[in-house]
Amino acid sequence: MAEAAETDQGPLTTIVNDWSSDVTTFKAVPWGKAMMWIFLLSDTFIFTSFLVSYMAVRMTQTDAWPEPSEVFSLEAFGVPVPLLLIAIMTFILITSSGTMAMAVNMGYRKRKVAVFWLMFATALLGASFVGMQAFEWTKLIGDEGVRAWQNPMGAAQFGSFFFMITGFHGLHVSAGVVYLLIVAFRVLRGKYDNTSFEIVEITGLYWHFVDLVWVFIFAFFYLW
Amino acid sequence: MATAEIPYQETVPLHHPKTWIGKYVFSQDHKVIAVQYGITAMAVGLVALFLSDLMRIQIAFPEFMDWFVEDYYYQSITMHGMIMVIYLLTAFLLGAFGNFTVPLMCGARDMVFPFVNMLSYWVYLLSVIILLLAYIPGLGGPTGAGWTLYPPQTITEGTPGADWGITTMLASLAVFIVAFTMGGLNYITTILQARTRGMSLMRLPLTVWGIFVATFLGLLAFPALFVSAIMMILDLKIGTSFFMPAIVSLGQTLAYDGGQPLLFQHLFWFFGHPEVYIVALPAFGVVSDLISVHARKNIFGYRLMVWALVFIGILSFIVWAHHMFVAGMHPYFGFFFATTTLIIAVPTAIKVYNWILTLWKANIKLTVPMLYALSFVLTFIMGGITGLFLGNVIIDIPLSDTYFVVAHFHMVMGVSPILAIFGGIYHWYPKLTGRMLNDTLGKWHFWITFLGTYIIYFPMHYLGFIGVPRRYYENFDSSFYPASAQLLNEVITYTALVVGVAQLLYVINLVHSYFYGKPAGDNPWGANSLEWCTPETPPGHGNWGDRLPTVHRWAYDYNVPGSEKDFIPQTVPQGQTS
Amino acid sequence: MAEVGQQHPIKVYFLVWALLFVFSIASYLVDFFAFEGHLRWFLIVVFMLLKAGFIVAVFMHMKWERPTLITAILVPPLVLIVLMYLLAYEADYAWASRIVYFGDVVEPIPEPPPSHAAVPH
Ligand code: HEM
Ligand SMILES: [Cu+2]
Repeated sequence: MAEAAETDQGPLTTIVNDWSSDVTTFKAVPWGKAMMWIFLLSDTFIFTSFLVSYMAVRMTQTDAWPEPSEVFSLEAFGVPVPLLLIAIMTFILITSSGTMAMAVNMGYRKRKVAVFWLMFATALLGASFVGMQAFEWTKLIGDEGVRAWQNPMGAAQFGSFFFMITGFHGLHVSAGVVYLLIVAFRVLRGKYDNTSFEIVEITGLYWHFVDLVWVFIFAFFYLW
Repeated sequence: MATAEIPYQETVPLHHPKTWIGKYVFSQDHKVIAVQYGITAMAVGLVALFLSDLMRIQIAFPEFMDWFVEDYYYQSITMHGMIMVIYLLTAFLLGAFGNFTVPLMCGARDMVFPFVNMLSYWVYLLSVIILLLAYIPGLGGPTGAGWTLYPPQTITEGTPGADWGITTMLASLAVFIVAFTMGGLNYITTILQARTRGMSLMRLPLTVWGIFVATFLGLLAFPALFVSAIMMILDLKIGTSFFMPAIVSLGQTLAYDGGQPLLFQHLFWFFGHPEVYIVALPAFGVVSDLISVHARKNIFGYRLMVWALVFIGILSFIVWAHHMFVAGMHPYFGFFFATTTLIIAVPTAIKVYNWILTLWKANIKLTVPMLYALSFVLTFIMGGITGLFLGNVIIDIPLSDTYFVVAHFHMVMGVSPILAIFGGIYHWYPKLTGRMLNDTLGKWHFWITFLGTYIIYFPMHYLGFIGVPRRYYENFDSSFYPASAQLLNEVITYTALVVGVAQLLYVINLVHSYFYGKPAGDNPWGANSLEWCTPETPPGHGNWGDRLPTVHRWAYDYNVPGSEKDFIPQTVPQGQTS
Repeated sequence: MAEVGQQHPIKVYFLVWALLFVFSIASYLVDFFAFEGHLRWFLIVVFMLLKAGFIVAVFMHMKWERPTLITAILVPPLVLIVLMYLLAYEADYAWASRIVYFGDVVEPIPEPPPSHAAVPH
């Protein structure tokens, strides 16, 4: 598989060549990374199943569905701003994606300490995201009286899907925080000094995926 | 083909266990994990077999077992179906065969992440234990909802096990999915990223291809089941109404309101249909290899066989609602799903033709594995043809929920994969243990099982045509139920008991041959694929000694003109013959 | 595995980072200004896909992967579109049946709520 020949190949030829070659199909992709990608593909099916279920139930609903921008508004300086908290959470998650991307970049430059702090920051941002989610849940449960099984504003499924989907996403974020911290400390302790820093990239893939899911939840849950 | 790329496995040291426990219990060796998967799956399989015999006795002789009440019957149906499909077939074909064959046939030292692979088995074992927790006395027993677990009936009072039983079932499924994912990621990554020099995908034996596509289907289909299990547990435990509409049950209005029961069926079958192929595709692969090896001929149309597997895999995601023709779904869906379903028949038929063409004028050796492979083809054709009937809405509607369906799915996904599994075991046992299985016992086991299953399932088509409904505890006195049907049921039951007991022959054979079997040598069948080229039999830890093998050809060079032996292993360079 | 690694100028990351903020604000504004109907859905989905696309392409480095990996990961989810489309299609039917058989109003069948307008037929 000479590099020179590759540049003037079309993508189709590359695909065919890669699939017909021996040893590896995804050239220059470490095992862990290939495995993470395939796992994320599987996880995509999980989240999509959740979201599609939400769609199917919401569209067959004959009871009123609450207006998310009103339910999720927050008082700021005495005026209710719709979706304020969600907007902040979204920005936090995006920021954490940014720091993660930087960590990966620093990883390939073998700048251990920078990697550590960037991953640490990512984990902190992730944790604060979960914290805000907890706040949002409390508000919904305490102030609005929404429960997973009931909803004073209309269809009970509003609460059911909200808690289930954001909860499942929140679990992913929390797991990600733990994962990030473990890898970050291992990097600092020099566990990967003699190997490449691909583990940082793999962790990054997971983290960006969590962000990616939030993009869809944001659109379908809060903006519909 | 051989490239400059060095297989990564040659550059890293292998994990070597030091203790006995590390070697045989918490082993990370794919061969040991395969055996663990296999034994566990067969053990639960025997439980499921026992349950089916109880049901058969109840059907034919309703007065015979007083203690076997309605609830027990429904619970047995459910456990039988679920165990067979998930905990036996899926676990065996992917967990046992997948683990054993993938690294050996790809020329790898082990799976890419042996630790995760080991976890996969232990989590699977956990899921089996959770499943069996349903039998703890005093808690209401397992669920009796049928393996399809349709709500609302599954979690409303009146269905056996509507509280404890269904909880353990759903929990066990969720845990199983975790286990499957850990294993599946390993199989896929190993096949894609850890082959040896010269081993291109198009040189892989079809067994690996079948396992590859099936695992991929599993990774994409199990999520739907996982999600529906979570939603059902929430409906049950905290009173959400995802699947539960407003219901009056036993005179009481339940607290549920506004859920969508059809959604469950969609999710279930979005998983369920690919699941059918998760057990069928590895069986296809195994049988293709058995036929080729034991007929001493290259497989006919190898490339087409591979593409057929891939197309079946893709199509299996867009046919799911053919299980829902009578469910009250959108009336337009019947046409769409009938069409896609019938299209699947094309790649499937290609495979059948290719098996037959491989056999055409071949030097067929009627060894025990071959007998099983041939019977697989026959049985699969039977079940496939009735599938064509059921795929047409207008024929399916009267046949739904009758014994015709029971006959169909047992032929196609019950008996066929089981036959392939038996064939595979008889074929690979010598490599696994270094000893041959006993031939005479094997032949007895084969003929009783094969003929028996025909006597059991063939008449069920007829029962279905005359309208005998499925999942009925007792239909003795119904006016439409002719005496002949009763007679048939008795015949079926006797046969089922015989077949059930005959499985002991096989268990005895496995155990006995392990100690006293004929020594097998490295390659008793004269087969080409890599697992027969290991330096030791049974293959040692790391499979290949110091250096991974180099592959020069596909796995099907049998009876090549000009070669002195009738097979040329994959490691023999082009131009040479041995 | 030889020359593994994804090294790209840091500038790209900052650019995408900024873009994600922009798209998030934009989709937030769609809600804030209460756009309705098709326009709302069009904008929401466009911004959503843009965000998702940039995350996958740059942050997850898909843009720099070989087409083999890209297609292997991005093509299989297409079957989910079939699932989504068909369930949306059926949902309208189920909704109408509920109104017809269980609704308080039997005749005439009321207009579906606005959310249903978004579903293609
Ligand atoms: C000799 C072996 C077997 C016998 C005697 C047997 C017998 C039965 C019987 C009596 C039923 C209940 C039919 C009804 O009333 O609806 C049943 C259901 C079922 N069996 Fe088997 N079976 C055998 C092997 C298998 C195998 C190997 C599989 C693996 C796929 C399997 C899968 C199922 C399934 C999926 C159901 C449907 C369960 C349900 O209705 O929920 N069976 N079987
Ligand atoms: Cu099907």
